[in-house]
Amino acid sequence: MAKGKDGGGGGNSNDSKYFTTQKKGEMHELRMELHATEKHVKVDAVKKVIASMTVGKDVSMLFTDVLNCVQTGNIELKKLVYLYLINYAKTQPELTLLAVNTFVKDSADANPLIRALAVRTMGCIRVDRITEYLCEPLGRALRDDDPYVRKTAAVCVAKLYDIAPELVAERGFLDTLHDLISDSNPSVVANAVAALSEIAESSGKDVMKVSAAVLQKLLAALNECTEWGQVFILDSLAKYTPADGREAEGIIERVTPRLQHANSAVVMSAVKVILSYMELMGSSNIRSDAIRSLTRKLAPPLVTLLNSEPEIQYVALRNINLIVQKRPHILENEIKVFFCKYNDPIYVKMEKLEIIIKLVSEKNIDQVLLELKEYSTEVDVDFVRKSVSAIGRCAVKLERAAERCIGVLLELIQTKVNYVVQESVIVIKDIFRRYPNRYESIIATLCDNLDTLDEPLAKASMIWIIGEYAERIDNADELLDTFLETFEEEDPAVQLQLLTATVKCFLKNPEDTQDMVQRVLDLATEESDNPDLRDRGFIYWRLLSTDPEAAKMVVLGDKPVIEDDTFRLDPGLLNVLIGQIATLSSVYHKPPEAFVVRRAAGISADDDEEDDDDENYEDGDTGEGDLLDMGGMNINDSRGATASVYETKSPMNKVCGAEKSNGIEVYAGFRQVNGTIRMEMQMNNISSPAEIQGLAIQLNKNSFGLSPTSQQISCNPPIAPGSSGIATVELVVTPNMLAPQSANQPASPQVQIAIKNMQTGTVFYFAVDFNLEALFSQDGTMERSVFIESWKSIDDRNELYGTVSDIPPENLDIDTVINKFKANNIFFIARRPVPNAEGQEVVYFFMRTITQMEFLAELTFKQGVTACKICLKTENSSYGLLAKQAIEYLLRDF
Amino acid sequence: MISNFFVLSPRGDTIIAKQYRNDRGDAGAHERSHTEAFFRKVKFWDDHAPPAFMMPDGLTYLHVKRNGLIFGCATARNVSAVTVIELLNTIARVFKDYCGTLSEEAIRKNFILLYELLDEMMDYGYPQITRTQNLKSCVYNEPIIVDPIGNTSKMVNPKTASASAVHKPVISSVNANGRKSDSSGPQKNEIFVDILERLNVLFSANGYVLNSTIDGCIQMKSYLAGNPQLRLALNEDLVIGKNNGQYGAPTVDDINFNDIVNLTEFESARTLSFVPPDGEFVVLNYRVTGDFTTPFRIIPSIEEVDSKKLEITVLIRADMPANHFGANVTVEIPLPKCTAVASCTVIASPGSGATSAEFIRADGKILWTLKKIPGGTEQTMRCKVTLSQSCTTQIRREIGPINMNFEIPMFNVSNLQVRYLRIAENMVGYTPYRWVRYVTQSSSYVCRLN
Repeated sequence: MAKGKDGGGGGNSNDSKYFTTQKKGEMHELRMELHATEKHVKVDAVKKVIASMTVGKDVSMLFTDVLNCVQTGNIELKKLVYLYLINYAKTQPELTLLAVNTFVKDSADANPLIRALAVRTMGCIRVDRITEYLCEPLGRALRDDDPYVRKTAAVCVAKLYDIAPELVAERGFLDTLHDLISDSNPSVVANAVAALSEIAESSGKDVMKVSAAVLQKLLAALNECTEWGQVFILDSLAKYTPADGREAEGIIERVTPRLQHANSAVVMSAVKVILSYMELMGSSNIRSDAIRSLTRKLAPPLVTLLNSEPEIQYVALRNINLIVQKRPHILENEIKVFFCKYNDPIYVKMEKLEIIIKLVSEKNIDQVLLELKEYSTEVDVDFVRKSVSAIGRCAVKLERAAERCIGVLLELIQTKVNYVVQESVIVIKDIFRRYPNRYESIIATLCDNLDTLDEPLAKASMIWIIGEYAERIDNADELLDTFLETFEEEDPAVQLQLLTATVKCFLKNPEDTQDMVQRVLDLATEESDNPDLRDRGFIYWRLLSTDPEAAKMVVLGDKPVIEDDTFRLDPGLLNVLIGQIATLSSVYHKPPEAFVVRRAAGISADDDEEDDDDENYEDGDTGEGDLLDMGGMNINDSRGATASVYETKSPMNKVCGAEKSNGIEVYAGFRQVNGTIRMEMQMNNISSPAEIQGLAIQLNKNSFGLSPTSQQISCNPPIAPGSSGIATVELVVTPNMLAPQSANQPASPQVQIAIKNMQTGTVFYFAVDFNLEALFSQDGTMERSVFIESWKSIDDRNELYGTVSDIPPENLDIDTVINKFKANNIFFIARRPVPNAEGQEVVYFFMRTITQMEFLAELTFKQGVTACKICLKTENSSYGLLAKQAIEYLLRDF
Repeated sequence: MISNFFVLSPRGDTIIAKQYRNDRGDAGAHERSHTEAFFRKVKFWDDHAPPAFMMPDGLTYLHVKRNGLIFGCATARNVSAVTVIELLNTIARVFKDYCGTLSEEAIRKNFILLYELLDEMMDYGYPQITRTQNLKSCVYNEPIIVDPIGNTSKMVNPKTASASAVHKPVISSVNANGRKSDSSGPQKNEIFVDILERLNVLFSANGYVLNSTIDGCIQMKSYLAGNPQLRLALNEDLVIGKNNGQYGAPTVDDINFNDIVNLTEFESARTLSFVPPDGEFVVLNYRVTGDFTTPFRIIPSIEEVDSKKLEITVLIRADMPANHFGANVTVEIPLPKCTAVASCTVIASPGSGATSAEFIRADGKILWTLKKIPGGTEQTMRCKVTLSQSCTTQIRREIGPINMNFEIPMFNVSNLQVRYLRIAENMVGYTPYRWVRYVTQSSSYVCRLN
C-alpha cells in the first residue's frame, strides 16, 4: 500500500526536476478545478482524476479535494466521486475512513441511488472501524422501501460477513436475508439467495438450509427471478436433499421449464438439479418411466448448448463428459452432434473426441471410425494424436469392432507420418494387452516402422510388443540388439522395457540370447544409477541364476486383461461431480476442495496455523486415505470390549496401543454435548519420553463428513509420563470431508485419525468407530402425521430388522426408554399396544442427523421378556445399520 | 463469485480492470502483473487457450474473446463456470450497446462510462442489472461515439465478430433520457429483426451429406420509442421436436427463448409477445438437424494425369431458387505440401459477379472467390497441379477438405418464417419502421475428399 503513495508524490525521487514540477503543476491545476464553482468544470476535473487513476497514477493526494465535491445534489458528480472512493476503498482503506461521515449521511439521502451507493461503497472498505458505522445504515437499507437499495444491502451482508461474521450474527442480518427470499422484487431475492449461499460456503455453516418453507419460497421465486437469480436459486436447490422420491419429482417438474432458457447458465443449473434428484427417484416401475421421460427431455437442451459460443461449448462438453458417464442413455443416439466441425477451436475438438469415445457403440462404430480417420489427417498434431489414440480405445472398448479399428490403424501407419505411427504403436500395444494372441499378424508391419520411433513411450511400447511376442518374431533378438546399442541414452521407461523384453526373449530362446541378457543385466546393475532399473536388474539376475522356472512364471506369467476404464472416473467422485455440474469443479473434474484454497473466513487465525492447515489438508486429500491407510490395523472393532474407563457417555474404546504411538495409549469415543459433536480421548502416557502437551489432529475422509474445528489439541494439564489425561476435540460436519459412498454398501463407521505429538514429533494413526447417536440433531422432532406418511413411503427394501436381547431390566420400562432416548436426540413419536397380543407394545421413534438423514424406528417390547424387536426404516439405507446399532447400544448400556 | 474483471487489448494491455474482492490477500498491488501472466499463458496456447484454467496464483481465470479483445476475470471459488462465461458475454454485449462498437478505441474513450456500468452490473462479483434497458435508469455518463469502421477494422477478427445485421452505432441517445424523461424526441422509430441461420454441413467425397445442422436464431435491435409491446408470429404449423411432426411442416429439434418472451400463445398460435429492451437481444434460438436441402452442393473430382500431375475440378451447384443468390463466396482447397505449380481456371456461368481463383503458396491452398452465385447455376473451377515428387496415397490425402464460406441474403433454409410483427402503439404520428431480414450463413460448410 505504501508503494502506491510514493509513486506519485515523488518529491525526493530521482526524477528530473522538470518532470517533478510538471507533475506538481498538473496536480495543482486539477486541485483548482476541483474547487471550481461551475459544475461542469468540477465534473471534468473528477473525470480527469479518475482517468489518471486508471492508468496507474497515484492521485491519492487529491483525496480531500475530491471528497469535497461529494457535497452536491448533482448525482452525476456524486457517482464520479464514489467511483474514485471505491477504488481507494480497496487499496487505501485508511484514507477512505475520512469519508465515513459522508457515507453515513448519504445512506439516508432521499435518492435511493445514493443510499445504495453509500452502502455499497462502505461494504468494500475492509477496515474494522468502518464496520461499526456500517451496521446502522445496513440495517436500515435492508428494510428500505426501494428495491434497488435492498438488493445492494443484501450483497453487503455477505461483504460484512467476510470482515466481521460475529457482527452479522449479532445484528440478526442472516434472518433478514432469509426474509428477503420472499421479497416482492426479483433482484432482491436473487441477491439474498446469493449472499446466503456465499456465507454458507465460506463459513461451512448451513445458513442456506433449505427447509420446507424456504423450498416453497425458492420455487415461487424461480418463476419471477432474473436469469442470474434463477441460477442462484437452482444452485441452492441442487444442494437440498428432497425427503423422498415424490418430493424430488415435484421439484423436478417445477424446474424442467428452465431447460428452455436462452441463458445456458440457467440450463446447466437446471440440469444439475434434475440429475441430482433423479438419484432419489428410486427404481420402481412407475418411477423408471418417469426417469425415462426425463431422460428424453434432457437431451435436446444439452445438444443445443453445443450451438453456443465456443467458450460455453467447452464448459458444456466437460459437463456432458460427466453426464454420459453417469447416464449414458441420455445422449446415446446423439453421437453425430459431437463430431468435430472444421472451424471448432482445438479445445472444443479435444473434448468432443472424449465424448465420442464414451458414446461409441457397435451401432455407430463405422461412422465413428470414418470420422476419426478423417481427423487424423488434420493439421494440429495434438488433435491428430488424440484421434489416433481414440481409434485404439474404440478397439479396446468394442471387441467386435477391434478388427476394423486395427485395419484403420494399419492404414494410418502406412502414411509414415512420424507422430501418427508412434501414436498407433502405443495404442496397438494396448490392443494386444486387451486381446492377447489374436492380432499378432500385424507385428511384421509394426517392425517395418522401427526407425520412425523416436519418442520414449512409442519405443517402450514397441519393445514391449517385441518381448511379449519374441517367439513369433524371427529376428526378435536382433531387433532388441539394435535398441541396446543406445541403451545408456534412452529414457528410463525405455530402459526398463528393454531389460524386461530381453529377459523375456532369453527365457523363450535361451541359446541365442545368453550374451545379450548378460550385457543388459550388466548395463542395468552396474552402469546405471537409476535405482528402479538397478533393482529390477538385480531381481531378474537372481531369479535367472537361482530358479529359471520361477523366472518364467514371474516374467512370462499371465497379465491381467486391461479394460477401457482408463478415463473413467471413480463412481464416488462421479457422484460428487454430478452435484457440481456447471461449476469449475465439473470443468476440472476434481472435487472443489482439491483446488479451492480454504480460507479462514473472517476468523482471525494466525498465518502459520493457516498454512499448516492447507498443507495437511492437501495431504489428507490425496488418494482416499493412502496417507492414513491402516490396512488391517483396526485393533478394536467391537464396542465395549474394553471396559469404559471414563465416566462420560462416550463409549470409550481402546483405539491405539502404546507400541504404535511411541508410548501413548489412546481410548476414544464420541458424544454430543449441547449440539456439538465431540471426540473424547483418554490418553495414557505409558512410556512417552516427554509430557504430552500439544497434539495436532487430522481426520481422513469419513462416512459422516466429520472434521475437527481446530487441528490443535492441547492437553491441560500436560500428561506426564506414567499418568493419564483427557483431550477433547470438537468436530463439525463438512461435505468436503465426506468419503464417497457407494449406494448399496453399508457405510463404514470407521473414522481414521492421525495424530502428531508436537513434543516428540511422532505421528501415529488409528481408527475409531463412530457412534451415530452423536450425530443425531436436537431438532429431530417430527409431526406424527408426517411420520406416518414417511413410514409408508419408504420402500420395504430399506427396512432393517433385529432383536436386542439381554436388556437390563431398568431399560424395559417404556417411559424410561423414551426419556433416555430423548436425551440422545431420539424422539418419541407414538406408542400403542399391539392388538391381539397381550402385553406387547410398539413404540415409534424418530431421529434425524445433523446431515439431514432421517431414520424411523419401531420398537416392540413384550412384558416379562428382556428383549426388544427393532424395525428401522430409512432412505439412507447405507447408514441404517449404524442407526440400528446406536439404538441397540443405548438400550443395552445406559 | 468472481474477484475481478478485466479487458485486455489484442497486445495484452489492460484497458479496463476492476477488482470486486480480495481473494489473494494482498491489496491488489500486483494485480497487473497477474493479468500479464495470464495473457502470456493465453498466448502460449497460441490463442487456443481453454476458456477456464488455473494459474499458479491459485486462482481460476475465465475469459472470452470478442473482436480480438479478451474479456476475463479471476476467481478463488468454485463458481459456476457457465454463469461466469455468460456474464462475460453479457458484459461484452452491454459494452457494445453503449459504445456502438466493441473496439479498443471505443473502450478507451468511454472508460468512465464503462466503469460506471461495471459498478451497476456487478456488486461483490455477483451479477446485478445486466440488461441494457434497465441499466439506463442508473447510469449517467454519456457515451462518446467512435467511428465504427475506421480504426477498428484491423483489430476485428471477422470470425468472432458479431453477426449482427445492424452496423450503425447503437444507443446513441440512450442514456440522455435516464430516469428523467421518455424518449419521444426526433429519434427514428425502427426495429431490426434478423432471422439468422448458420449452416454446418459435411459432404462426403461423392457428394452425400454426412452431417447437417442449422443453428438459427431470431435477433432484434430495437430503437422503438416508449418500448411498446410486440407480437411476433411464426409459422402456424411449426413443429417442435423431431419425430412428432407431419410431413412437410417446418420442424425444429429444439427451441429456447429469452425470458422476456411471454409464451402463453405459443402452443396454440405460435405467437410470442414481449416488450423489446433497448439494444441487441436474441428472442429465440433454434436448432434443426438432418433433412433440409443444402443451398450449395460441392462436387469435387481429382484426376491423376501422370505421376506428378493432378487435375482438380470443383463444381459448385446452387440449389436454391433462382431469385436468391449466394454472396461473398469463398472456397478453399488445401493442396499437398509438395505442390510445385498450380494454375487455376474458372468457368463462370452468367449472372455471377467477379470471380477468381489462385493458389496461395503461403497457406498452401487454392482460394476461389466469387462475388455472387445465382440460384440454379453451376460454377466450375479447374486447377492443374504439378507436384515436386510422385503422387502417393499419402500425398493425395493432403488435398482437402474443401471449406466453403458464403452468405445468402433474404433466404433461410429451415422455412421458419415471421408471419407478422405487430407493434402495439397507437399514438398519433407513431410510424415505426420494421426491417425484417433473413440471412443464411455458412458456419462450417465442408466437403471431404477422402
